[in-house]
Amino acid sequence: MSHSTEIDSKTAWGGGESPFRISYGKMMMWFFLISDALTFGGLLVSYGFIRHKYADVWPKAENVFTHFPFVDKHLPLAYVGLMTFILIMSSVTMVLAVEAGHRNDKRKVIMWMFWTIVGGATFVGSQAWEWYHFIHGTAEGALRHVWDMETGKYVEKVVYGANMVVNEYGVPQFANYFFFITGFHGFHVFSGVIINLIIFLNVINGTYERRGHYEMVEKVGLYWHFVDLVWVFVFTFFYLL
Amino acid sequence: MSEFHDNYPSYEHMAHHSEEEGKVTRKKLWRVFWYMLAITIFELIIGSLAPGNGWSGTLWLKLLFIGLTILKAGFIVMSFMHLGHEVKFFKMVVLIPYIVFMSYGIFIILDEGVYSAEEINRTKVDPILIQQQEKLKASHGHHEAAPAEQGAGHKKEAHH
Repeated sequence: MSHSTEIDSKTAWGGGESPFRISYGKMMMWFFLISDALTFGGLLVSYGFIRHKYADVWPKAENVFTHFPFVDKHLPLAYVGLMTFILIMSSVTMVLAVEAGHRNDKRKVIMWMFWTIVGGATFVGSQAWEWYHFIHGTAEGALRHVWDMETGKYVEKVVYGANMVVNEYGVPQFANYFFFITGFHGFHVFSGVIINLIIFLNVINGTYERRGHYEMVEKVGLYWHFVDLVWVFVFTFFYLL
Repeated sequence: MSEFHDNYPSYEHMAHHSEEEGKVTRKKLWRVFWYMLAITIFELIIGSLAPGNGWSGTLWLKLLFIGLTILKAGFIVMSFMHLGHEVKFFKMVVLIPYIVFMSYGIFIILDEGVYSAEEINRTKVDPILIQQQEKLKASHGHHEAAPAEQGAGHKKEAHH
């Protein structure tokens, strides 16, 4: 925007104004997001490390995620493509809500925030559906060496689906990282939906209209875009590569 | 909203814009959305057409996917999160620490990850799984049918 371009580097750090030309709340949201991004970055680095380590026995995502709701067909990765679309779409509706906030257009903020919440909730539901199918696995299952507690020996057994110990599709590490990273991301989406809902109710109640600006919408917007940003990377590293 | 910084300019109020400016902004945002949608669809099409093993393709294909991902991330951060319109100081404060840390992480993946893949450094992998994967790879080489059929076929074999 126009206010952010005019800055004199000689006087910017002299005090009395923010050299960043940004409000305290938004700056702190950015700092939080950097730390959160480092957490996700660390998790993805760890995932990449283990994936290189067990590259020969790592399952291919297109052989694992082949289901689509209400369609009895083999459609690899179609559903996760749709989920990605839903999350990008909800990111667009969020930024449109922020834009409407800049014009103090309360009606439009309410409308766009509503669609953002719908998109986010749909995404969380889709993820639960995908976890369900991953945990339950295929009808055939696969033969594995499984530790038997009673005899204290490895026995050959057909396993179905994936959990933290055995994985029908490949090494258990794939399931471990899938559950942890998509779970951590899903929890972020879930809390994002809750925070969006709180701000949504505040907008309806006219809190920000009275305050004169919709900066809170902008702040939750930053968080919501960040969630979308993380998903873009999770989508690539878990499903595409 | 000014209990902490009485003399500071109120940046919250400076973020307002007019109806006409809003129209321009909206147009830009929708354009970014169409770019991102096109990239995602392109990725899925390329993945399904990729030779041989479906999505998990060659190094160049992987680099293409990673490049497109970074492009999408750039769209989100610069346009949706508005970082492209913040002052230069702030852009650097956000981007440089992250890029520095992640460069180190990527180096660790590529260097130590490959070293740790040597047999002596790995915990024991289920021998049945290694057999299954080798069969799956061999069957991919012979005919390029749907991966699910092959997967199911090799799993049936594993039963007896």
